[in-house]
Order: sequence, then C-alpha cells, then structure tokens
Amino acid sequence: MTALVLEIINLNLSFARHGEQTAVLHDVCLSIARGERVALVGESGSGKSVTARIVLGLLGELASARITGEIRFEGQDLGALSPAGRHALRGTKMSMIFQDPTSSLNPAYTIGAQFHEVLRRGAPKISAKAAKERAGAMLAGISMDQPDRVLGSYPFQLSGGMNQRVMIAMALANTPSLLIADEPGTALDVTVQAQTLKLMRELVEDNGTAVLFITHNIGVVREFADRVYVLYRGRIVEKGATHAVLTDARHPYTRALLAAVPRLTGGGIADIGEETDVFAAPMFDHGPGAEARP
Amino acid sequence: MTSLVRVLLSRLLTSFIVLIGVSMLIFFIARVIPGDPARIALGPNASPEQVLVLREALRLDESIIVQYGYFIADLARGDLGISLYTNRPVTTDIAQFLPATLELVFVAGLMMIFIGLPLGILAARYRGRWIDHTVRLISLLGVSAPSFVWAVILMMTFAFILPVFPIAGRISDSYTIPVASGFLFIDTLLAGNLRAFANAGWHIILPAFALALSGIGQAARLTRANMVETYDKPYIEMARSYGFPEKRIANRYAFRPSLIPSLTIIGLDFAAMLGNAFLVEAVFAWPGLSRYGVAVILRKDLNAIVGTVLIISAAFLIVNIIVDVLIAIINPRIRHSQRPK
Ligand SMILES: Nc1ncnc2c1ncn2[C@@H]1O[C@H](COP(=O)(O)OP(=O)(O)O)[C@@H](O)[C@H]1O
Ligand SMILES: [Mg+2]
Repeated sequence: MTALVLEIINLNLSFARHGEQTAVLHDVCLSIARGERVALVGESGSGKSVTARIVLGLLGELASARITGEIRFEGQDLGALSPAGRHALRGTKMSMIFQDPTSSLNPAYTIGAQFHEVLRRGAPKISAKAAKERAGAMLAGISMDQPDRVLGSYPFQLSGGMNQRVMIAMALANTPSLLIADEPGTALDVTVQAQTLKLMRELVEDNGTAVLFITHNIGVVREFADRVYVLYRGRIVEKGATHAVLTDARHPYTRALLAAVPRLTGGGIADIGEETDVFAAPMFDHGPGAEARP
Repeated sequence: MTSLVRVLLSRLLTSFIVLIGVSMLIFFIARVIPGDPARIALGPNASPEQVLVLREALRLDESIIVQYGYFIADLARGDLGISLYTNRPVTTDIAQFLPATLELVFVAGLMMIFIGLPLGILAARYRGRWIDHTVRLISLLGVSAPSFVWAVILMMTFAFILPVFPIAGRISDSYTIPVASGFLFIDTLLAGNLRAFANAGWHIILPAFALALSGIGQAARLTRANMVETYDKPYIEMARSYGFPEKRIANRYAFRPSLIPSLTIIGLDFAAMLGNAFLVEAVFAWPGLSRYGVAVILRKDLNAIVGTVLIISAAFLIVNIIVDVLIAIINPRIRHSQRPK
C-alpha cells in the first residue's frame, strides 16, 4: 500500500486541431499524499484545468484529446480501469469544485434536489428524507445558517458565497479521498473567498481529504498549501514545500510570478515578460518514476 | 404561487383586450369586402323587397358603429347571430364543426411535444452522429413544404400506394357514435366503444402528422440548439464531474433549462396549426371548421365569418396562456420572482 492518493507520471496531452497535434502538457509529474494539500499554480492557459480534468476522466471522452502517461489513484492504475470503473470514482472517491459557484449549480433545480443527486452517487438508494438530513448537516458543518431554507432555494436566490459553501459541502458529502479545486471562488468577493477557503481548509483537515488546489493566486497558496507545483506552458518548472518555493524560488518563471503578485488577495497574475527560453528550461529531471520516489 | 396567479391574470387581461381588437378588425373587414350579403344569401331570383327586408333584419343599413354595438350586446349574451348559409345560430354551427378541428390540432400538438422534444434531446446528446443528421433532415423536410403539401404526399404514400392508413374522414362509416361532446375520442369512450376509439385514432394519425411535421422539426431543432448551448454550461461539467449518468444529464440537467424557449416555439406553432389545419382538413376531407369557414367566406355570411374568426383567435390566445403558465411553472425564476422585501 502506498500513502499516495494521486500520482501523475509523465502525463502528456495534445489536441488534434485542423489535422495538427498541439501539445498542451509535457511530461507532467505530480503526486499528492493522503490528506496533503497541494497547489498547482501557473498562468492562464498553462494546462492546470486540463490536468484536473484528465484526473477525473472528463477529458478522455474527447475524441480530439490524445493522452499518454500514467495516473495512479490510491495505488490503482486508472488507465487499466474500464470507463465504467473510472466513472464509478467520480463524485464518490474524487470530486471537484469549480470556479464560479453560481453558474456551476443548475438553475432549474433546488439546492436540495442537486444535493440529493450528489448523495445518490455515494448511496444510490438514499431516500429524499435521509438526503435532506445529511445535506442539512453538511451545510451546518460549513457554518451555514438555516440549512433547510438553503436546501429549498434555487442557486439564483443565494449569494455567490453561499453557493460556494454549498459546492464545498457537496464536494465533501461523499467523503472523497481527493478533492480537486479549480480556481475556486475566483469570481467571488475577496473576503468571502478568504472565509470560505478557511472553512474548506478546516473541513478537509477533519476528513483527511487530499486536495489538489489549482490557482494563480500566490496569496492563497501561502495560506492553503503544503506543497506547490508551478506549471509553465504545460511543464512543471518548479516544485517543493510551499515555504521553500515562496521564499527561495529557483526557477525564473516562479520568481517572475512572485514578483508580479505581491498582493495577498490579488485576483490574478499581472503581465509577465515573455522570457520563454529561460522559463521553459527544466530545473530538475522528471524522468520516468522520478515522482514516485519519496 | 402568487406570481403564478399574477402571470395568469395579466395574460387573461391582455388576451381579453386582444379579442376585443380582433372582433373590431374582423367585424369591419368583413363588412368592407364588396358584395351584399343579403343578395348573396337570397340568390339572384329574390325580389328587391325581399332583399330589403333581410337587410333590415340584419341591420345592414345602420352605421357600422351601431352595428358593432348590437354585435357586442348579442355577444355578451353568448349569441353570435344566425348564419345565412346554414340558417342556424352560428354558435350551433361552431359547436358542431370545432371539435373535429380541435381534436386534430390537439393530436398534432401532442406529436410535436412527444416526437419533437425527444428527437431534439437525442440529437443534442449524440451530436454529429447519425441521429443528429436524421433530425436535421426531418426539420429541413418539415419547413421545406407547407403542411397541406405534406398532407397530399403522406396521403398518397401511406393511404393510397401503401394502404396502411385510411384515406379520409374521422372514422369509418360502419360506426355510429351518438354525439355527446362532438369530440370523437370522448364520445367513443362514453359509448364504451373501444374499437371505434381505436378507429378514430387510426384516422387522425396521417392528417395530424402532416399538420405537426414542421412543428416537430422546429421543436427538435430548437431543443437541440439550446441543449448544445446548455451542454457548454459549467453546471453540466459539474454534473459530469460528479459522475451523474449521461442519460440523466441529458434528460434533466441539460433539457430542463432548454425547455423554456422550446415551449415558447411549440406554443406559437400550436397556435399556427389552427390556421394550417384549414388546408390539411380540406385534403383529408376532415369535417372540421375549415369547410364551414371557406363556405361562409365565399357567401359573405357576416355573422359566421366573425364568429369563426373569433373562436379561432380565442383558441389561439388560450393556447398562449397555457404556454405562459407552463413556462412560469418550469422556470423557477418566474415562479419565485423576488419582490422587494
Ligand atoms: N477541449 C479542448 N480542445 C482544444 N484545446 C484545449 C481544450 N481544452 C483546453 N485546451 C487548451 O489547452 C491549454 C490549457 O488549457 P487549460 O488547462 O484550461 O488552462 P488553465 O491553466 O488556464 O486552466 C489551453 O491552451 C487551451 O486552449
Ligand atoms: Mg483553468
């Protein structure tokens, strides 16, 4: 048994576009231990979201996507699983939180109905009543007042911050071992974002859930992550303990990143010069199995 | 629920105003068309005195405003006057001919909903695959020719060359069904005659399908377009990330938000079918309002023309009200429209 929840080994991704292959990810290696919080940072378009979607198995269904490499989840090679087997992991063992909470919830159904659907992934036969109780408890656990009223509401009747908490509660409802958060709450007010992140941190700590936290906000990384990976143009250019990377960045791109975002709560990364050659130069060897070694 | 009542009340009010407007318009238009209704009704051999008597009885020599006043007063008592063509109250005529038309349009509407929407869902779910192309072909066919052309083509193909369906009429002559409501589907059931019910169903398929075809295509195309757009929404990706079954995502998560525009179009098409039904009825010798309508227009039968148009407009408005209420029920934003607290 390995203590790693997620292990990505030499992940490559390219998209077929107009008969040509456009490479998006280059030999990405990344690992997350049980209960560990890992941040994946990088500018927009660097390949963060596609990495998350590949882990969840959402990109494999795309005809234009060519994926190679190995992904091990709780020691199991996901490539060896059938589509149904991968499908079974989604929403149960791994779940995801999206950027804009309000548009990620379905406008045509109440929170309660959507929560029921989520809980059904973990317990297919769960009754509406039991689902309501469990959902209410989850919402109360994330400091939401009047959970019953929230469950009876539609997403557009709640604030962005409330929807964000609903999403976090849903994502953790089936006690997954891996939570992927793709730039959560970027669309939210900064103070609201900070509050919900704090709550989320408490919850994942209590549950021992491992988190892959995708962001381009260095301030959030500092607050939240144990370790950091820096992605630049589809390559991991730097990795290490958060403190080490933030105080002693080795790679030019990371330094540029840090210099560009001195604010704790900055919304995004300011312009970074196009010093591609230096940035793209690998800083460490990520050959096969390099990540697997402790 | 109060907002639902509000929707209903406001639609009823506007519909009422529209009906008044329609009644004025058709009332005046029918009267400015050249030709003397009394002369046409009595025939060329009637004496000028007879014509004068009838003109008097019809109040044709009063000013048009006064005539309209009389008309409204009668209408308030549920009296649409006497048809010069049938010599019976117009309300009696309409009660006799309307059910056949409503039955036809209703079945065509059901076809639009229960064939058009599922086709749209399938086309969106399997876009780019053969079912998607088939649906595109169907909607192209549907809009490429008016429904009476399809009525002729369908009749030739499936009633004449391949005699699968009856060629004309509402029901085979061998059945005698006592008239209770005028709606065959109700009357056959009231008579406890299931075979007659099935026979009536068999007769309605071709004309209803001819009438529904363009609506089916439109509903399918619109549903597909909206669903494809909905499929790109973050909440669909979220549903996928939770591993909800793909079928459930299609039928619930993507379909429900797409239903509102589709329903609007279906409502409009449904109402338009009331007009198209005239020609389809002619092709299939369907004893509906069409034959009556054409006959009374040719004879300048004023009361009957106004009555027929009013009834069809009312049906049109009722369908629109039903659609609006359905949309309000489906769309939680309307149902729970927030008011300032
Ligand atoms: N479905 C797709 N088809 C083609 N290219 C894609 C697709 N999804 C993402 N890409 C490309 O992959 C790159 C990485 O995208 P993404 O992972 O979304 O970046 P980010 O780091 O901002 O999350 C981008 O250049 C994007 O254009
Ligand atoms: Mg992204």
